[in-house]
Amino acid sequence: MAALNRFGLGARPGEAEKIDDPRGWLMAQIQGAPPSLAETPPTDAEVAKVQADFIEANRAKDKDRRKAAAKAMVNLRRREVGHVLTTRVVTDRPFAERWVAFWSNHLCVSTANAQRLAVLVGAYERQAIRPHVFGKFEDMLLASARHPAMLLYLDNNASVGPDSPAVTRRRGRKRRKPPRPRRTDINENYARELLELHTVGVDAGYTQEDVIQLARMLTGWTFQGPGDRNKHPLGFRFAPRTHEPGAKTVMGVRYKEAGEAEGVHVLRDLAHRPETARHIATKIVRHFVADDPPPAVVARLAKLWTDTGGDLRRIATALVHSDEAWQEKHKKFRSPQDWVVASLRVLGTKEVPPLAAGALRQLRHTLWAPKAPKGYDDVTSTWADPDSLIKRIRTSRAFARRFGSSTDPGMLLDVVASADAELIRMVRDPAARPVDRVALFLASPEFQWR
Amino acid sequence: MSTGLNHDTCMDRRHFIGVAGACLGGLATASLPSIAFAQVPGRKRLVFVLLRGGFDGLAAVPPTFDPHYQATRGALAAKPSDLIPLERGFALTPGLAPLAEFWKRDELAVLHAVAIPYRTRSHFDGQAVLETGLDKPKGSSDGWLNRLLTVMGGSSKGVSVAAGMPRSLMGPAPVSTWSPANLESFSNTFLDRLHVLYRADRELANPFEAALAHPDIDLGDNDKSMKGRKPDAPGSQIDGLFRAAAKLLTVEGGPNVAAMEMSGWDTHTNQGLVGGYLDRLLGRLASGLKAFRDEMGSQWPGTTVVVMTEFGRAAKPNGAQGTDHGTAGASFVIADGVAKRKVIADWPGLGEKELLEGRDLAPTLDTRAVLKGVLAGTFDLTGAQLNRVFPMSSNVRPVGRIFA
Repeated sequence: MAALNRFGLGARPGEAEKIDDPRGWLMAQIQGAPPSLAETPPTDAEVAKVQADFIEANRAKDKDRRKAAAKAMVNLRRREVGHVLTTRVVTDRPFAERWVAFWSNHLCVSTANAQRLAVLVGAYERQAIRPHVFGKFEDMLLASARHPAMLLYLDNNASVGPDSPAVTRRRGRKRRKPPRPRRTDINENYARELLELHTVGVDAGYTQEDVIQLARMLTGWTFQGPGDRNKHPLGFRFAPRTHEPGAKTVMGVRYKEAGEAEGVHVLRDLAHRPETARHIATKIVRHFVADDPPPAVVARLAKLWTDTGGDLRRIATALVHSDEAWQEKHKKFRSPQDWVVASLRVLGTKEVPPLAAGALRQLRHTLWAPKAPKGYDDVTSTWADPDSLIKRIRTSRAFARRFGSSTDPGMLLDVVASADAELIRMVRDPAARPVDRVALFLASPEFQWR
Repeated sequence: MSTGLNHDTCMDRRHFIGVAGACLGGLATASLPSIAFAQVPGRKRLVFVLLRGGFDGLAAVPPTFDPHYQATRGALAAKPSDLIPLERGFALTPGLAPLAEFWKRDELAVLHAVAIPYRTRSHFDGQAVLETGLDKPKGSSDGWLNRLLTVMGGSSKGVSVAAGMPRSLMGPAPVSTWSPANLESFSNTFLDRLHVLYRADRELANPFEAALAHPDIDLGDNDKSMKGRKPDAPGSQIDGLFRAAAKLLTVEGGPNVAAMEMSGWDTHTNQGLVGGYLDRLLGRLASGLKAFRDEMGSQWPGTTVVVMTEFGRAAKPNGAQGTDHGTAGASFVIADGVAKRKVIADWPGLGEKELLEGRDLAPTLDTRAVLKGVLAGTFDLTGAQLNRVFPMSSNVRPVGRIFA
């Protein structure tokens, strides 16, 4: 049951009986290419067009056009969310999908305070995260750093070297009319989060100067506009004109001036650092084993990270073979996304109803919308607060009404490792309405844990 | 909000705990907590509003008198004629106009150059320090609001009026969470059954009990008026949350301490001036604070609202017409009978050499000193009690000038 619930996304009734070698079943899921989505995603051209329409509508200051363009953005985001949720509900590789979701949250982008990212967040997960989940972390990190979603989200596209040609040349020019405000300095947002959240972690001992130097190394990293005139709309572009010249030093390592290659070097170096290994290993173990990660597993994974240079397939393999992850004394409270997906899986539906998205909003766990670049939290106290429990109960009623009429309530008990005698009695109680019994099961404490 | 006090049926969820025994029939109901219905006369209440993301105190409360103000702020320097003057050349950005009404009624204290006691530009560490009330981001997972509840004892309770439990409220004292719901409702029979199940779950029993104790809040006509409005229009969601907080705080036997939060303050790009992004966001906050006071009605006296953030922002704009993470910033205390039209600040100055590390407004006032002053004035706590709320702060004196 741990294979299905802890590593996977929740069992379907009867599924546990079909798996006789749980570790083998998990290992098979992480071989070969990363899993693809259950439905065909929007094309790059479509994504670029929706983004371009929005920018043009804003530029034209045409209210109706802007409204239509904003609607198209929201619709595209909704489609992408639908594809991912549907994939999680129907997939036969649930461990691999959980692995994708973990990395997407680790290097998250968000529309929480940036509606303009709505078109890009789905593409980001598809293009920067998913292809690399069984590869090297450094490649995922680089893909993330180059993606327009991340460049916009943490403002690196707005970061300009103060001594770059673009700034110094402008200074020398005589001004005829007051110029509109131009960018003339670095924006340290991305560099700071890169250190604090994506790689070495806040305790790694870096300084404000390291943040500034790293930001300078990454100046010039931007992307092509979404318009047709560009060869690769929304593709990564290095702009030498805004890149800060000179050598830089980050966390004790000196980097010679090398344009775009500086950023590539420093990102690869950061990905390999032991502090990064430890920081990310802790997060992985917290996600798969326990809120308080057992130090022995963390140490093992961190060492493997250092030995393999952050080989994510090897890390996933080691996780499957970590006995701690299988122990019943450890358990994880299902996040709202996990709980919604597990509910739909146990109800046997292949369809993700609009009410699922509404429930995730109420439960504070909308896809790609954490309030801060740290991503969504991963511990019981974040998700098991009183208000959230009441909202899960309400949602369980709605799910049961929508999908529960064709479900035999007694069968549901198959998908939890153990159930309280009271729960068994209530779910089997022939005097109660089947829909109520289904709702009761989804809302029960047993079903909240994985 | 339902006001029916019907002890004979199980229909009113607010009284669920008190009458659960009757509904559960033969099932074991030993040691269920009961709700005290007596209203403590002259009850004191506290609302802690955390602006997550680091709000720009120099934009909210510009120090127009500072000789370096224009030069340091550059493109983000406001025109003094656009601002609402306070005193000594401090001013409010026009989005905060509703706060000027509090000011005129002697209900607003503005504090400036305030910072947490730990130097960090990390949101995560900054919020940890502010919410735990410690002097560094490690050492305790409990929040200072929870320690406050423990120190006050009695029937003190806390509530988070936001989805989720914030760190500030975590700990052993009784706390709960509330946020608006528009999902399906359910019967109490259903809840009775779940109650039996949840009592057997070690981790989930307590939050479940806490959830049952909440009133059913109807946001009423105001809620309906939200339809067709833009979600970010002033007077929509934030007002609703503040009104709900007032309702929760005025329930008989309900919480007397509330935590609220707002995000969107991490203005790295184009934060704007008058009418710009940040000004409008501040407008929503101010509108919410006004809605809160209105909703408290006759119970407003004795209530204190504190508005704080994890750090201020760099004094100079960055390259994108925004501001990067900084150090000291502004804070607001709103209460009946608060400091008489004073901006409480030991002003460090905006000159190059006066700025911390040549970039941030330097801190001259510790957030814990502000909070200690607020608690002393609101709940009459002793110095020893204040030091239990904020461990490792015995050398931090409460700001006495808040409640003059």
